[in-house]
Amino acid sequence: MRGLLGELATGKQGEEVTITDMEASIEHMSRATVRHVEGMLVVTEPYFRSLETVGRIAPLARELGIEHVWAVANKVRGHRDEEIIRSYCADHGIEVGGVVQWDEAIQEADREGRALMDYEPAAPAVVSIERIADLLEQRVDQTRGNGRGD
Amino acid sequence: MKIAVAGKGGSGKTTISATLTRVLARRGHRVTAIDGDPNPNLGTALGMSREQLGELVRVPKEIMEVKEEGERRTLVLTRPVEEITAEYGTEAPDGVNLMVMTGVDHAGGG
Repeated sequence: MRGLLGELATGKQGEEVTITDMEASIEHMSRATVRHVEGMLVVTEPYFRSLETVGRIAPLARELGIEHVWAVANKVRGHRDEEIIRSYCADHGIEVGGVVQWDEAIQEADREGRALMDYEPAAPAVVSIERIADLLEQRVDQTRGNGRGD
Repeated sequence: MKIAVAGKGGSGKTTISATLTRVLARRGHRVTAIDGDPNPNLGTALGMSREQLGELVRVPKEIMEVKEEGERRTLVLTRPVEEITAEYGTEAPDGVNLMVMTGVDHAGGG
């Protein structure tokens, strides 16, 4: 019984999570910076120069030993935008981990210097990001337990 | 789990990092958000007040040492991680712990 409670206590609910908002330029991405990182989200907008950045970061991240690398489409204004990102990623062997729609609530929250989560917790962008959280919980958790706890 | 968020400047990576952080914290995870951008604004995106933002202390470079072994460079903490979190972490909404690490990975050049 005690063992079971212990397991519940250390289960998914109380998991230690770190989210690092990285520097925009990738020149500084080194083995040292991303040591122990299990998953990387590369945010991209639906235009070519932004996609090219994903095309450079994703292989580098894999080379540095990051297990899961996903592109996240952001500021998507319709089917065509999503298609541009999906087709680029498919051609470059990059998995799309989420699609976040263009959301006026983000601009409004920024204008007021508030968190999107406080400004409009049910905004479409928040809902999309909840799906990304689902993905991380499902896919990254499964690869744990390899004795790397530190 | 340890997640990094990358992308071109202006792509919205800070908003996504912050919102993801708050979502995971509300689900009951203990979340540490690390601001690694040279122009740090993750605190604002997380919803911290001006007053709280004023209290933020950047984690000094000296907290880490770069060890080079041939081609491999690794960062080694010079103090226990709990101590660093207690001293430099600031509480953001939903119990998130925010640390500003800007500049740390440039220690030792390279």
